[in-house]
Amino acid sequence: MISTTRIIRTLITLFYLAAAVAGTGAVVITGMFFYIVKDLPRVPEPLSRIIETEPTEIFAATGERIMLMGGREAIPLSRVSPHFIRAILATEDHRFPDHHGIDKLRTLKAMAITLFVPGKIQGASTITQQLAKNLFFSFRRSYMRKLQELMIAFQIESQYSKDDILEAYVNQIPFGVGAYGIENAAQTFFGKSASNLNLEESSLLAGLPKSPTRYNPYLHFDRAKKRQRIVLLRMAAVNFISQQDADNASKTELQLQPLPVRARTGSYFLDTVIKRLENRYGPEVVFHGGLKVTTTLDSQMQAWAAQSVQEGLQKLDRTMGLSDAMESHELDTEQLPQGALVAIQTNSGAVKALVGGRNYSQSEYNRAVQNNRLPGSGFKPFLYYTAFEKRNLHPATVLIDRPVTISVAGAPDWKPKNFSREYNGPIILKQAFLSSINTIAAQLVALTGPEDVIATAKRFGIKSPLSPVYSVALGTSGVSPLEMASAFATFATGGIRHNPFFIWRVEDSFGRVLEEKIVSGERLLDPAIVHQVVDMMRGVVDSGTGSAVRRLGFNLPAAGKTGTTNRYKDAWFTGFTPTLCTSVWVGFDRNVGLRDSRNIGITGGRGAVPIWTDFMKKTLADEPSREFGIPPGIRLKSVNPRTGQPAGYYTKDPIQVVLRNGQTLEGEHIDLNLH
Amino acid sequence: MTEIKKYHWAEPGTINEWVKRMFAIRPLLLCLFISALLISELRFDWLEQTVGSFLVSTNGRRPESGTIWETGRQTRTARKFLEQIVSDRQASQQETRQAKSFKEIAATILTDQWVMIAPDHFRRLYLQLKPETAEKIIPPFDLLKLINQKNWDRTYFEKDGDGLNIYILDTENRVLTQLTISPRLLYGMGESQVKMDETLENLPQFKNRIYPADLFFQALDSLGEAVRRDTISQPDQLLRYPGHITRVGISGGALSGFIELGFEIENATHRIVILMNGQEHAVQRLRTKLEGRKPMRRKHEGM
Repeated sequence: MISTTRIIRTLITLFYLAAAVAGTGAVVITGMFFYIVKDLPRVPEPLSRIIETEPTEIFAATGERIMLMGGREAIPLSRVSPHFIRAILATEDHRFPDHHGIDKLRTLKAMAITLFVPGKIQGASTITQQLAKNLFFSFRRSYMRKLQELMIAFQIESQYSKDDILEAYVNQIPFGVGAYGIENAAQTFFGKSASNLNLEESSLLAGLPKSPTRYNPYLHFDRAKKRQRIVLLRMAAVNFISQQDADNASKTELQLQPLPVRARTGSYFLDTVIKRLENRYGPEVVFHGGLKVTTTLDSQMQAWAAQSVQEGLQKLDRTMGLSDAMESHELDTEQLPQGALVAIQTNSGAVKALVGGRNYSQSEYNRAVQNNRLPGSGFKPFLYYTAFEKRNLHPATVLIDRPVTISVAGAPDWKPKNFSREYNGPIILKQAFLSSINTIAAQLVALTGPEDVIATAKRFGIKSPLSPVYSVALGTSGVSPLEMASAFATFATGGIRHNPFFIWRVEDSFGRVLEEKIVSGERLLDPAIVHQVVDMMRGVVDSGTGSAVRRLGFNLPAAGKTGTTNRYKDAWFTGFTPTLCTSVWVGFDRNVGLRDSRNIGITGGRGAVPIWTDFMKKTLADEPSREFGIPPGIRLKSVNPRTGQPAGYYTKDPIQVVLRNGQTLEGEHIDLNLH
Repeated sequence: MTEIKKYHWAEPGTINEWVKRMFAIRPLLLCLFISALLISELRFDWLEQTVGSFLVSTNGRRPESGTIWETGRQTRTARKFLEQIVSDRQASQQETRQAKSFKEIAATILTDQWVMIAPDHFRRLYLQLKPETAEKIIPPFDLLKLINQKNWDRTYFEKDGDGLNIYILDTENRVLTQLTISPRLLYGMGESQVKMDETLENLPQFKNRIYPADLFFQALDSLGEAVRRDTISQPDQLLRYPGHITRVGISGGALSGFIELGFEIENATHRIVILMNGQEHAVQRLRTKLEGRKPMRRKHEGM
């Protein structure tokens, strides 16, 4: 009896204790409530205000919209497919019509799972809570934020109808690949309006907001399909559809719209455009100003550029024996060679296509605009131009190809070597250029001085800082593919330089012009000398280090120069037709050379030329053959490649050179004695 | 005195007593009330509704903070910024459309901006120039060629220091020809304006800055050749009119590096004022001389 009474007494004590705790709790909760609501944000009225921001639209030069930034394309609920509404309700919050901002049963269940199932955290946010979070709060998780979110959800439920809430919700949820809101998502993924989404499409889309990156159907289609199945099962579980419908829908094949340019091929380009816009107008205007930006991008060309780089690098993987290692997961994509391509319209400087790497989604580092890759022999056209201009040399001038030593004040002697480690003796400059002979280049830079070569490169459009050392002539200062394409485009125009640009026109949201690109070129170079160098660069493509261009089937008149740096770390080819100049670089991000499976180094001719050729063949397939313009005061002579003398009937392999007025074939034999 | 009744709680002695007390009417009612409260909350969400209604009532007093409001603010700032650019440009463009000389166009262009005019407008302005000045901008034959090419769509002007860069554009914004008007040439265009039967007093820009002609020319004489030329670049225009210059007015303000001068000429029949521009730096030196002051030394200039 005594013990029973003691138990009851203990229970009573506990009861009073609990009552006291509950009372204190009530006081604390009331205090907390006022503390929480003290800094709550104001809810906009009407709720549709959230969709009032104008998007900034970026267009290709060919007219297609390639990016939509900020802003929302909001539509009334009546224009959203009922399939999608049911799918999103089943997935995110099937008791949405019944609760008042919080689903208590689901919250209790989630709390139980979070507390009692180790390592599992269950969420129970309702659609209203998600809306509150997206509208007012950052993604930083904290209890305070969660409580504030809940309070706002209560207010939204009290202030607006369920339809208003759902409409606001579906118009702002992120679906990934830059698509916000259901209309934008339907257009992006399926190329149709939100009102026309069927069950399969709706269920796929409804699964994405949980983790737009993880379930991105373009990158992880299987994951997205599994998620779609979960959505369909949820729909069946809450009796929105039958199990049969769910099964059928999950088996139906989905036709995804080709991935928008913004997410596949244009992102390196768009990154560059956005950066330039931000520098000009500031990020606030770019993302919230509703600008209409017409870029120089040619969508089709861009798609081909991306394809050529992708396929070219895959072939390179195979040549290097990396494909097997990739398949067996011994290598990840970061250990594969990278590539970049820039294509510029020669007569304007408009950048028509730009690819900054193998895959934007794996690496956003834009190799097309970074000036940290050495161009190697790709720099020699500037050297030869300088020698022709400053020393009045010409393509038939003879120099001796032999080991040379150039004294450098305050530094060890410079002893450049030929790529082949062989020396040919007397040779005319055009032949030396075609064979990319380094000792001849070294003698030329010794004649002209590195400062003049740098000044020439700058006149052509190279903007990067270049070290005034002799080796600059062999491309030992970093440049970018964008600069190379732009500088070589100056050769294509006969010496008229156009600065590269990405934006044709910027308008405000009312179509009023804020800026317009005026295409003006500056003649900075002698057209006759330019033509002499272009003629030599044509030789590179027709019979020199870039002759793979012809072997691979590109037959239009073209000129260019390969470049390969020490230990095959960079392989370049920059080439042009009279209308389009394209620069291609391949190499590793890390300090490793390109070598094939037999450990033979990969040159610009092997690594970059195939990508260049593939791209140019596709791009210029329908272009008529167009010759380079010939300036006045030019004449052609056939000469002996060893003596530089006019070729006779018995001259072996004569070579045609371009001479300017006043230049003769007599006595241009230079021996600098640089032993 | 009221008697305070004291109740003393006594612990039940038996379990039966405990049970009896626990299931008495008051505890049961309390339990029922609490249960009803909980069930009705689960069923009718009155707590959420009460909180929600309270928050609706305080909505207007709460701050416009959070992502959506921040976005709204950024949007407003962005719009304002763009509106400013557009309105500046439109105002400038409007003035340009009404410009009657290249000089007026130069005066309307804001720093870092540009204006466009139609080819016809350009032609009109060009035809107003003296042949030797026009020739320096573009030879008439070259202009004729351009007009006949029929792809001249617009003319784009941008400031180049105190001078002008002019781009003749085709429909694709390609530059067909680029022209330059140097500051000296622009100034030299000096289209003078003649106001008949006018006196300097009636022209407000010269108020308190009217000097006797002999004093003016005396001061001008004491300055160097370059300053004299920059003050009156086209003396021939003053020689065209019969009579004597009696007084000279110097305008108080400067526009695009020029200051307006007014020369009052008097002859037997009437009085006229000829207006022309002098380069700001030269006129300022002249004015200093006229007012007997030393030129003010700029703060950053060394002693």
